[in-house]
Amino acid sequence: MDSAAIDTRSTGLRALVGRPTRRGAARLARWLATLGLRHVDVAAGGEEVLALAGRRPDLVLLDSGLADGRLIARLRAQAGMAEVPVLMIGRFAGPRERARILALGATDVIDRPATLAEVAARLRVHVENRSLDRSLREVIRSLQGFHTDTVERMKVARGMQLALLPSESLRGELQRRYGVRLDHHFESSSELGGDLWGARALGPERFAVFLCDFTGHGVAAALNTFRLHALMARIELPGDDPAAMLEALNGLLAGLLPETQFATMLYAVVDTAADRLTYATAGAPRPLVGTPDGGTVVGESVGWPLGVSPRATYRNREMAFPPGSFLFLFSDALYESRDWEGRPFGYEGVQELLRWSSHEHEGENVLAVLLERYFAVMPRPLADDLTAIWIGRKRD
Amino acid sequence: MDYTVRDGDGVREVFLKGQLTFEADDDFRKIIGGMEKDRTGAGVPEMVLDMAGLDFIDSAGLGLLVLANNTANRCQVRLKMRGPRGQVREMIEISEFHTLIPCDF
Repeated sequence: MDSAAIDTRSTGLRALVGRPTRRGAARLARWLATLGLRHVDVAAGGEEVLALAGRRPDLVLLDSGLADGRLIARLRAQAGMAEVPVLMIGRFAGPRERARILALGATDVIDRPATLAEVAARLRVHVENRSLDRSLREVIRSLQGFHTDTVERMKVARGMQLALLPSESLRGELQRRYGVRLDHHFESSSELGGDLWGARALGPERFAVFLCDFTGHGVAAALNTFRLHALMARIELPGDDPAAMLEALNGLLAGLLPETQFATMLYAVVDTAADRLTYATAGAPRPLVGTPDGGTVVGESVGWPLGVSPRATYRNREMAFPPGSFLFLFSDALYESRDWEGRPFGYEGVQELLRWSSHEHEGENVLAVLLERYFAVMPRPLADDLTAIWIGRKRD
Repeated sequence: MDYTVRDGDGVREVFLKGQLTFEADDDFRKIIGGMEKDRTGAGVPEMVLDMAGLDFIDSAGLGLLVLANNTANRCQVRLKMRGPRGQVREMIEISEFHTLIPCDF
């Protein structure tokens, strides 16, 4: 490249030159044209400079004859002109004078006499900065556009995911019908999550509840929750037998999920006539059960996660569940998430928190109390999706 | 996760250290890749994953164990786990992975 030329990519830039006289300004404009800048506006005098600045130049070159403070200040005050390079060319009395011009808002000063090569070298720096800045802004604008679209799409998808969860009316119906309190919390680590929970009536005295957590989080995990939701709508599934239910779901998922994806799940049936809780787990966290006397019991949990192998079998476990008992289910995020110091909250921490909240706030929304205290020490967003369900049988 | 490998007498021992999570994906896949036979058909007959140095595993880590198990079956490598402790042992027991990959506790 000719040392006196400016990178041709910059030729799309618009320059504005200003001198006290039109002839002088035209000469300066010809200089810039020699350097490869094609769009050059020529202004004679300060007012014209201000008027032509409305065309949003990328670079302004002013004769020092126009260098009174007011012009630069008014120029800078115009829309979009705050960051544009303004160069002053002329004879300056010394370093003090140059400093004064810069203090008035000029970006740089070029001392006359200057050769074309010198001017080119000085201008090139500003022009290249400017075009870099401009392409950067274009990139940012396009990223912002992309981001806005994505956020919109994600919002729709998130709405669809939330619609998979039991509705408020179903929750209310279960509470009335079975004499229970059913509270839940569903929080994804990003817009979409890999958790799913559900509940349904099985008969006049029994209902089922489940919590499922797919590997990972985000879009891929969320797609799996839609898969599971669709599978669970199949009527031929043995919904009243937890172990058989998990086996059936495993059989369906094992062929569908990629090699490294699977789901942990707990499926429980509450029988309010027999005062019994029957559940089976597929790699799910151990459930916590509260007894009417205020104690808590850690439920057993053993079983291959769903989707690992088509050969998986599951076992039913039974626990007494009389009025005054509660069942607390949660995804592993509750104890695996880390506090500000990077320490996991821990399963023991969950037990302790549950004991405190169920003891101190019996009859209230224990889950809300528990989570309020939890998030007082745990930073959001959590690294994984969190779902928690609290089902308490009312005392007779 | 960090790991060291010790080869000897038909057994490759892989000592895992730190956290077996999604971040360990690249390293762990390298370990798994070590089960593939080379061009001459020579390979490792047995691989032991020593987990005594692991202090955390999540579901993505379990996913990597499934991948290791599938690769071992395909390559006819006897895969074993050894010495998980704390949360890692808990996760392996809850998800019954010791019945998928034999484990010396």
